Amino acid sequence: MHSAVVHLHGSLVHLVSAAAEETVSKDPGPIVPELKELYWSIGSFVVFALLMRFWLFPKLKKGMDARYEGIRSAHESADAERSSARAEVADYEAQVAAIKAEAAREVEAARSTLEAERQAKLAEVNAKLSAQRAAAAADAQAERDAARDQIHSAVADVAGLAGELATGRRPSADVVTKVVSEVMAR
Amino acid sequence: MEAFAHLVNELNAADQKAANAASSAGFAYGLAAIGPGIGIGYLVGKSVEAMARQPEAAGMVRTTMFLGIAFTEALALIGFVVFILIGL
Amino acid sequence: MIAESFSFPEINSILRWQDLFVSFNKIALIAVAAGVIGIAVFLLAGRKDASKAPKGVRNLAETSVEFIENGIVMQTMGKDGLGWTPFLLSLFVFIYLCNVPGIIPLIQMPATARMAIPMFLALLVWVIYNGVGLKHQGIKYITNTIWPPGVPVALKPLVGIIEFISNIIVRPFSLTVRLFANMLAGHILLVTFALLTQSLITAETMQLMLKPMAILPFGMLVFLTAFEVLVAFLQAYIFTILTAVYIGGAAHPEH
Repeated sequence: MHSAVVHLHGSLVHLVSAAAEETVSKDPGPIVPELKELYWSIGSFVVFALLMRFWLFPKLKKGMDARYEGIRSAHESADAERSSARAEVADYEAQVAAIKAEAAREVEAARSTLEAERQAKLAEVNAKLSAQRAAAAADAQAERDAARDQIHSAVADVAGLAGELATGRRPSADVVTKVVSEVMAR
Repeated sequence: MEAFAHLVNELNAADQKAANAASSAGFAYGLAAIGPGIGIGYLVGKSVEAMARQPEAAGMVRTTMFLGIAFTEALALIGFVVFILIGL
Repeated sequence: MIAESFSFPEINSILRWQDLFVSFNKIALIAVAAGVIGIAVFLLAGRKDASKAPKGVRNLAETSVEFIENGIVMQTMGKDGLGWTPFLLSLFVFIYLCNVPGIIPLIQMPATARMAIPMFLALLVWVIYNGVGLKHQGIKYITNTIWPPGVPVALKPLVGIIEFISNIIVRPFSLTVRLFANMLAGHILLVTFALLTQSLITAETMQLMLKPMAILPFGMLVFLTAFEVLVAFLQAYIFTILTAVYIGGAAHPEH
């Protein structure tokens, strides 16, 4: 048992501290600062902090700032380029739109011209047709009137003759005509 | 039983003192850990709540949380130092 | 068996170190190494071409600068405090490099687990923030510190005493103790689990049962080492951010 305890005391802590063997002196408590550690750490930190303040940090920061400035300006130029490209695209689109509008107007004009011509032709044809139709109707009316007159005179002759045969005297032509007209109109 | 009796007999004044120191060191650290334990739990819980409620303020809440933990934890650590001083 | 054969070593035997040469022990070595490594990192970083995208050591240095600027200065002091970045950066780097040997195999001693470095840094911070307060606010700094605005006259003596103690005495004390005790606690935990592992492996009785059990404290040792990585960073961060808060508060009383 005793050997185990002894072995324990020469334990991992000792292995781990191969670089420096620990002391056996236990005069000061574990929280009392040791002067030699204090001196060395003060020296180390003060040198580090002063070098940092006056040399290392400004150098690093200058490089960082320069790079960030570069990145920022590159960003800005990229933005400017992008906006100019956008403007060009807009310009191009405006031109395209203008050309399209022009083309549409021309097409529209041609279409309306055509339409007008078509309308005119149609009207002309229609007028011709109606004139022909009117002429034909007038001819037919004249024929019909002539036929009607012939029938009238024939009926008047027949009626006059019939009246002469019945009454022995010839009725006056006016009366006969009048009667025939009345009958035919009925 | 015989072994314990043997132990009790062997306890001299210095051993008695060391035993008292060890047990009071345990009490000192245990008692010192209660309050900060509750405090840190409450603090972190509330911080998580705040971060969940407003994720955009998470950075600020986290910084403040660490500050609060640091202040609260100091009490437990003082208890730990007392433990070191009287117990070991 | 374990209870009998396991005994924790004398506390000083895991904390105090023999001189490597005259008045230069392991703690001093770590402190000097921290300063030298810090200088070397920033020197190498400064040597590299700044116009290209940062890589390697320059990336590390720039990340730490931005961490201090955005994570600490801007959060606590605002834009006015950016002039404090080099001091806070060296404070952070130095504390971190003194903490981290606590988990590096074969060194495994955080230099901040000794009182010297935390005490010196806390006193330095104390001098700086009081100096800043006196410089920015003149003699009114003292009255502003011990009597926060809006305190009734009747309460002034009491509040004055409380605020004086908490601002002037407790602050450096708690800064010191926080860093020191955290690192010391981590160190003692690591030692404890290393000893447990070793005592199980070298057990002389019931070896068949005890030797495999050593995996348990060893696993805990690995876990705690990983945890100490976090603690080393966190304690450096907290020390630095508290410094920033104290300096910012001394420079602008209304905050």
